[in-house]
Amino acid sequence: MSRRPTVPGDVGPPRSGVEATLPADSEAVIPPGRMMPSEERLKPPDWPGGRTEAPHRTFTVIGKRNRKVEGLAKVTGQAIYADDIRLPRMLHGKLLRSIHAHARIQSIDASEALALPGVHAVITGRDLPEYYGIIPWTQDEQALCEHKARYVGDAIAAVAADSEWLAEEALRKVRVEYEPLPAVMDIDAALEHPEWKVNEKARDGNLSKHVHLEFGEVEPGLERSDVVVEGEYWYEGSTHTPIEPHCAVADYDPTGFLTLWSSTQVAHYLHRDLSRVLGLPTQRIRVIQPVVGGAFGGKSEPFSLEFCAAKLSMVTGRPVKILYTREEVFYAHRGRHPMRMHYRTGMRRDGTLTAVDAKIHIDGGAYSSFGLVTTYYSGQLLTAPYAMPAYRFDSTRVFTNKPCCGPKRGHGSVQPRFAFECQLDKLAEAIALDPIELRRRNFIGEQTRTVNGLRVTSNGFLECLDAVERASGWGTKFRRLSYGRGVGVAGSMYISGTNYCIYPNEMPQSGVQLKLDRSGRATVFCGASDIGQGSDSILAYIVAEELGLDLRDIRVVAADTDLTPVDLGSYSSRETFMVGNACLDAARKLRLLIAETLAAQWGCGAAEIVLAGGVACSTGDPERRQMSVKEAFQRTEARVGTLGSVGWYQSPKLGGDYRGGTIGASPAYSFTAQVVEVECEVDTGRVEVKKIWIAHDCGRALSPVAVEGQMEGSAYMGFAEALMEEQVFKPAAPHHGPGLHDGPSLLDYRIPTSLDTPELESIIVESVDPEGPYGAKEAGEGPLHPSIPAIANAIYDAVGIRCDRLPFSPPRILSSLRQGDPKRRWEQARSEFFATGATASAAGP
Amino acid sequence: MVCRLRVNGDLRECAVVPHSTLLEALRYGLGLTGSKQGCDKGDCGACTVAVDGEAVLSCISLALAFHDGPEITTIEGVAERGVPHPLQDALDVTGGAQCGFCTPGILMSAWALLRRNQSPTRAEIAHALSGNLCRCTGYTKIFEAVEMAAGRMRERRAAAAGR
Amino acid sequence: MLTLPRFEWAEPHTLEEALALLSDRPGETLVVAGGTDAVPNLKHRLHEPSRVVHIGRLGELRFMREVRQGLELGPLVTLAELSRDPVVSRDFPSLGKAAALVAGPQLRNMGTLGGNLCLDTRCTYYNQTYFWREALGFCLKKDGVHCHVVPQGRRCVAAHSSDVSPVLISLGAEVEIAGRGGRRRIPIDQFFVADGVHNNVLRPDELVVRVSLPAGSRGLRTGYQKLRPRAAIDFPMLSVAFAARLGREGCEAATLVVSALAAKPKVVAGVEDLLRGKSFDESAIEAVAQAAYRQCRPQTSVPYDPDYRHEMVPVFVRRAMREALGEAA
Repeated sequence: MSRRPTVPGDVGPPRSGVEATLPADSEAVIPPGRMMPSEERLKPPDWPGGRTEAPHRTFTVIGKRNRKVEGLAKVTGQAIYADDIRLPRMLHGKLLRSIHAHARIQSIDASEALALPGVHAVITGRDLPEYYGIIPWTQDEQALCEHKARYVGDAIAAVAADSEWLAEEALRKVRVEYEPLPAVMDIDAALEHPEWKVNEKARDGNLSKHVHLEFGEVEPGLERSDVVVEGEYWYEGSTHTPIEPHCAVADYDPTGFLTLWSSTQVAHYLHRDLSRVLGLPTQRIRVIQPVVGGAFGGKSEPFSLEFCAAKLSMVTGRPVKILYTREEVFYAHRGRHPMRMHYRTGMRRDGTLTAVDAKIHIDGGAYSSFGLVTTYYSGQLLTAPYAMPAYRFDSTRVFTNKPCCGPKRGHGSVQPRFAFECQLDKLAEAIALDPIELRRRNFIGEQTRTVNGLRVTSNGFLECLDAVERASGWGTKFRRLSYGRGVGVAGSMYISGTNYCIYPNEMPQSGVQLKLDRSGRATVFCGASDIGQGSDSILAYIVAEELGLDLRDIRVVAADTDLTPVDLGSYSSRETFMVGNACLDAARKLRLLIAETLAAQWGCGAAEIVLAGGVACSTGDPERRQMSVKEAFQRTEARVGTLGSVGWYQSPKLGGDYRGGTIGASPAYSFTAQVVEVECEVDTGRVEVKKIWIAHDCGRALSPVAVEGQMEGSAYMGFAEALMEEQVFKPAAPHHGPGLHDGPSLLDYRIPTSLDTPELESIIVESVDPEGPYGAKEAGEGPLHPSIPAIANAIYDAVGIRCDRLPFSPPRILSSLRQGDPKRRWEQARSEFFATGATASAAGP
Repeated sequence: MVCRLRVNGDLRECAVVPHSTLLEALRYGLGLTGSKQGCDKGDCGACTVAVDGEAVLSCISLALAFHDGPEITTIEGVAERGVPHPLQDALDVTGGAQCGFCTPGILMSAWALLRRNQSPTRAEIAHALSGNLCRCTGYTKIFEAVEMAAGRMRERRAAAAGR
Repeated sequence: MLTLPRFEWAEPHTLEEALALLSDRPGETLVVAGGTDAVPNLKHRLHEPSRVVHIGRLGELRFMREVRQGLELGPLVTLAELSRDPVVSRDFPSLGKAAALVAGPQLRNMGTLGGNLCLDTRCTYYNQTYFWREALGFCLKKDGVHCHVVPQGRRCVAAHSSDVSPVLISLGAEVEIAGRGGRRRIPIDQFFVADGVHNNVLRPDELVVRVSLPAGSRGLRTGYQKLRPRAAIDFPMLSVAFAARLGREGCEAATLVVSALAAKPKVVAGVEDLLRGKSFDESAIEAVAQAAYRQCRPQTSVPYDPDYRHEMVPVFVRRAMREALGEAA
């Protein structure tokens, strides 16, 4: 196709007569409440023995150290990631990005770029004017900024050319006239200068979201306390840094159908937003998630490249690939929010909490992203594993002229957890109580409710505390190691999925279709997004367990909107719990049909039928009454017809009865405890984390290898945030403006190497949740939380300085070591600890 | 320009421009997409391949520097007749590959290590992999995998010697 | 991915051919050996040569020879070879150590001695993509007029970031340079100049063809200490090389070099006076550490807190000296 300048509103060349007749989808198709699902549908199937147990007494697949279904493809280099896709006639797209932190776009002249041979199209914000955003109430982003750029690196135009090289050359020839505007670079500036409005969709100045919630009587609680600790904490922003940069390949075919491959972790939400922004109906769009090279929340919403690749494909009639450079990944961001947190925490002399008061400011960057949820999560997820009689939080998220923050592993609650667990350490010191014992005394228990109305089912936190205390040799180390070495402890909880979809609707959160046939092979279809955590494998393990199949005889087809039923995607640690439950139901439905078939044939009860290891038999007479599962499938197919089943998951109604009360509500919570041992070099301020002991209650470990991998990866990531990572920006200077990323590369944004990472020991605790698939809960995010406060607390034990500000970099540690007399504080802390006999109370009341 | 590369035991020709990196030649010229690009410029190690048995970064190597040159081994070339290399098998068994994107690079660094050191210590493994960033695993299971593979390779050699 | 700019390719088969190519288009040619510094810089459009001359396969520049006068090293010896060579480890241990501390294993397999010596200076405002530098408004080292490190400065203060160079200075190495007009040998401390734009005396038509370590430097007490945030990959945020000769009457000669501060490695003045005839007791070490602290002023060009790096000067000097004495650092 020839070079073709575009005009605003142009949706590309007409392809067929049918395409204009279907409306694009902008919102939920069924207004909430109008088409309520039947009671029957909402009720999960009632399986004899519940859903926590093995189909026949003992597990044959679940809980075993199995390989992952895609493991060999990955280790042999055969797995296909988005950038491995090359289509015939494919063009390469690149995005033009703003060189100003905040500027009005006055004009864009692409004529010189379009004149370059091999440049096929240039699009700007006027070609994709529709606003989108992951949260339906805060849609404030455009694929390309139409009127204003809001951070250095904000996308404003896109080109498609024969090669990446040419696309890059073309970008340099696009002339943009900017009118620079005052830039808001931090929380205080955002609040002090509402007139420097970053985001026009904000109703009030630079406020993105404000939440104030109070449960119980906080002030009286604090007044009645024997001790109140007050502290201010700063959590520096950090970013996900998956090793795979974002990549999308779009192919708009002559029938008017768009196929988009993208390194996304939310194919379903991307599908909806593509429809909205491109003006194409969802049934004319197929989103496919290839193998994804890491995400950690950084690929959990639509990004400019997906819309632009699609639009450029529509405009040129050719496939278009856009691959972000590493630098662009830093601009795409959506990482951990910088947070300033002020806590007042009250306690009685017996070590029980009385009241907690939190005031939190959140630096959101230029757009909303999941910010509404972040703001709630910053308060809502603090209320377990410790019982709090009274709790108040006041959280404010503001807009600033920086790349947009969003959900990074442990979304919203990692920062407050850091602050709060440090508060607990200070309280323990104030009442001279062992900090593990203090945590035990405040344990909220299981089958209970938190102060803000979250329903807690299973809770293995005490076992987690016991496990890390034992494994680390805590009793011989805390307040006993020589100056420079120390241990610290922290705990946490996290959600296993949220109880609502991001857009209100009454449809299932997760669906599975299972196909069996006479070949003896099973195929599971599910929209779930495997980003390396192993959700594809979990599907296969469940089917193998229920139907007695070899893992190699199961194919998982996932995250392809044409082929798979909707699953909402890989965020909020929902996959194992929700997909697992959906899959369990689908598999058990077929298992039941098979069992009934065999029971009828053998004249025994269906409960006697066992499917395991490729064999179907009856427990009554396993020698004579047995056949291969393949034959069992064939007999069942002959009896009932073609074999297939569906399962879905929809969470029960949960949450507190107040505005925002459902945010943070989850069908199950995971719990973690960690002990960290550190060594501090007093002449350099360098902290070396020697070892992290991680105990995590994941309900039941469907795959111990995967659970340990999540625990280790989480602890590693927390350790990295604690000691070295920070996504920061250069302030304005005499010869340049503000907002330049401090170093958008893997050289300057330093993530730990194999030599920096401490020894990690994972201890799995299984509380067996009544509602999880076989009792499983999440493992991918919870174990990150305690690493950071545990390290901070260990540093205090080692050298007597409090680390209330992240990261605990050598310059910061050294400067703390030079203030006051930390060694004296250190000596005091231990003498008080031993004087009151705090050690003797380790057994608890 | 034509670039003739010795890759995985084959002599392959592909069209390149002077400014093609070895990684681009492998991935786009020869379809060997196993080697990955993660950082653009030699900071992450995902593009690691072996050149005459030594690990190098293909994203900052110029393709023409390898024209008619040394033997290049990529992730696609370490399995023998379709049987996974012990390192590949061990990474799969231990869960050393989560998202798998750094895996080809990690594997090639480990492969180069095991060629010159049959019994590496944990510290030697960590050292050999220190130019390969992994964001998923915290490295623990990768270390286990390399140790497991080294053990199996030693057993295999001992068995072959005893036969 | 970040692309490379367009250039012509030339691969000479002899040194003579290489020098001819360099003098053909001086200033428009970039020499590439291992490529570990040049290629990222090309991707950032810090160099935009019309021609790349690849010398990586010139066998005549890849040698290690023990001669009567000392150890002769070809510029194409890789950092990995240097780090594991038994003669280097025995006679010049700080050199082997410095080579082993460069970046990561793959980079050491590719990177060469000559490349590390001629490493382009580094700066947080310079080692960035074209886009980033455009957003900055560029800098005086490349494409711009202002220095962002020293806003009133006229001279580029990008930092010398080689690990092996400070050690080579401390060992009194010599560099042999070849051009079409002939060869010259200079002491390595005269190889570097205090100009961040181009911090050595190499002319565009010249190549480093030999690095010589004098026999007299064999068996010196040496130490090399490198400050970096991570235990691999990172460039030095501060580096300290120390070498001394200890005789029966105490110290006979000593050199202390501190680098990653500015364009030229800093040879700390007066160290020999402080140490001559003394054993390295605590007070002598402290005097040297304090002298270094007074003489060294880290800049913000290196992406790590400059005040902290200044504080670390005496700490790392002490460590390097204790290392030289054979004490655990």
